[in-house]
Amino acid sequence: MSQRAAQLARVIAAVWRISLAEAIAYRVSMLMWVLTTTFPLVSLALWSGLAAGGPIGDYARPDFVAYFVAAFLIRQFTASWVVWELSGQIRNGDLNTLLMRPMSPMIYHAIQNLAALPIRCALALPIGVVVLVLAGGLAWPSPGSLALLGLSLALAWLLNLAVHVAIGCLAFWVTESTALFEVWLGLYLVLSGAAVPTSLYPAGLAEVVRALPFHASLGFPVELAIGRVTGSEVTHGLLLQALWVAGFGLLAAVLWRRGVRAYEGVGG
Amino acid sequence: MTAAMVRVEGLCKRFSVPRREAGLRAALRALVRREYRVVEAVRDLEFSLAPGERVGFLGPNGAGKTTTLKMLAGLIVPSAGRVEVAGFTPSDRRPEFLRRVSLVMGQKRQLSWDLPAIDNFEFNRVVYEIDPVHYKRRLEELTALLDVGEVMRRPVRQLSLGERMKCELVAALLHGPQVLFLDEPTIGLDVSMQLGIREFIRRYNAEHGATVILTSHYMEDVAALCPRILVIDGGRLRFDGSIEALRRQIRPLRRVSVRAAALPDDPTAMGRVVLREGGRLVLDVAPERVPEVVGALVALPEAQDLAVQDAPLEEVMRALFGREEAAELG
Repeated sequence: MSQRAAQLARVIAAVWRISLAEAIAYRVSMLMWVLTTTFPLVSLALWSGLAAGGPIGDYARPDFVAYFVAAFLIRQFTASWVVWELSGQIRNGDLNTLLMRPMSPMIYHAIQNLAALPIRCALALPIGVVVLVLAGGLAWPSPGSLALLGLSLALAWLLNLAVHVAIGCLAFWVTESTALFEVWLGLYLVLSGAAVPTSLYPAGLAEVVRALPFHASLGFPVELAIGRVTGSEVTHGLLLQALWVAGFGLLAAVLWRRGVRAYEGVGG
Repeated sequence: MTAAMVRVEGLCKRFSVPRREAGLRAALRALVRREYRVVEAVRDLEFSLAPGERVGFLGPNGAGKTTTLKMLAGLIVPSAGRVEVAGFTPSDRRPEFLRRVSLVMGQKRQLSWDLPAIDNFEFNRVVYEIDPVHYKRRLEELTALLDVGEVMRRPVRQLSLGERMKCELVAALLHGPQVLFLDEPTIGLDVSMQLGIREFIRRYNAEHGATVILTSHYMEDVAALCPRILVIDGGRLRFDGSIEALRRQIRPLRRVSVRAAALPDDPTAMGRVVLREGGRLVLDVAPERVPEVVGALVALPEAQDLAVQDAPLEEVMRALFGREEAAELG
């Protein structure tokens, strides 16, 4: 058993090395990607403008700056793009290569995703810093809550990954799985807190929105990062994240298993 | 009698393909109710291969040869029947099975585009758990045989098609597979590269005893490489045997050609005239009449260049499949 674990660790390290090398080879396109996911920074400009005349709800101008810079960075830290890769590989038959290797294609995708994150973060951090300097003000979390933030980020990343895999696997049956992902993305932009902090939704609606997976994948870790959730809210939020991870993880696993059985191995 | 390396019994694969008429109205109707048509890609295949055999799958496009290969490799799950490769059921895709086989697809690149091939090899070393000493020896052997010592240090995207294919072969063979699946390995390559790859595969098979299963559009590949061929058409096995046996079954006539100062008045009595031009005569002759015809032709004034051959392979294929497919020869 420990031998298998050691082999898994070696495989993960090898995927990490090769993916890091690839990520470096693609650094320019990755910078472009970081720049196109600056949506929270657009929200920042909008909301800090609106808050110039006085606070909105419990958000004053500096709160918006802190919130959206954190949202921008956390989106980079937890980003996944597996849905594009996976659905493409299923449709054009490139999945064949992954399936022939004596390792799980899912592990490959997860590690590849993870290995590119440091580069994305290195590209995104300066942008965050520049925005902070220009806009001023940020309350960083206390060192004690950093561990919880780390856990929350890991869960957010896992949740994103599971959603990506689940939707990507639909390509085993339908051609337009990426179109379905666009629908998900549309809901995400509105409901995750990328456009509006979900606590600013009207009472009644806010509770519903804050229970959805969108908020668990972005809004919650952002609020944790800027110290807006405390005490039992933290535990509650982390549990909710874990629950969504388990739900989508299970869905992704079932779809993957069935999908591989239905796979037609197109091309070549 | 050694156990079979590959055993296939009653193998079938059905695909259901969405079907709709052309045009907008049909597209809209298909949104509401999709109609499916069942395509039987492989029907009731039955064969077994011994360890170390080199076998070629021949057949026109869409005949089911690649589908069969993919079922043997475990990429697609059979609709019915049984497949056993190296003692495993391929579609279970167990790591122990995957470490014993390798698939090379001429139309798909498996190496990472932006990295040098050597990085890909190193990656395979870890994933396939190749012992470092073995790895070093095999890498040296393969790179020397295929002459890719320099090439493998350049990013794969900068390589020519032939160089890339050689690197694909190295990557596929580093872990010493017992069964090698090759799907159109020489597609798009120039003739000398085709010959090189062919020679390499033959040598690899001879030295390592790996079972080689090949599909190719180039009949010459299959003829040169595979002592045994399986002809698959319409998803069914239509022939299983040597290329010579196939040739004689499909085109039993022998091709006799000669050059002479004067040709016989009525050569049609000897056989079917393929060509009669200047001093050259080419005839298709029934095997039992060959000695008699050769005797008559040798007796012609200034007879030279007398030759007796089997029918060309492309003609055999054209006759077999009745399509133009076989004309696409390398």
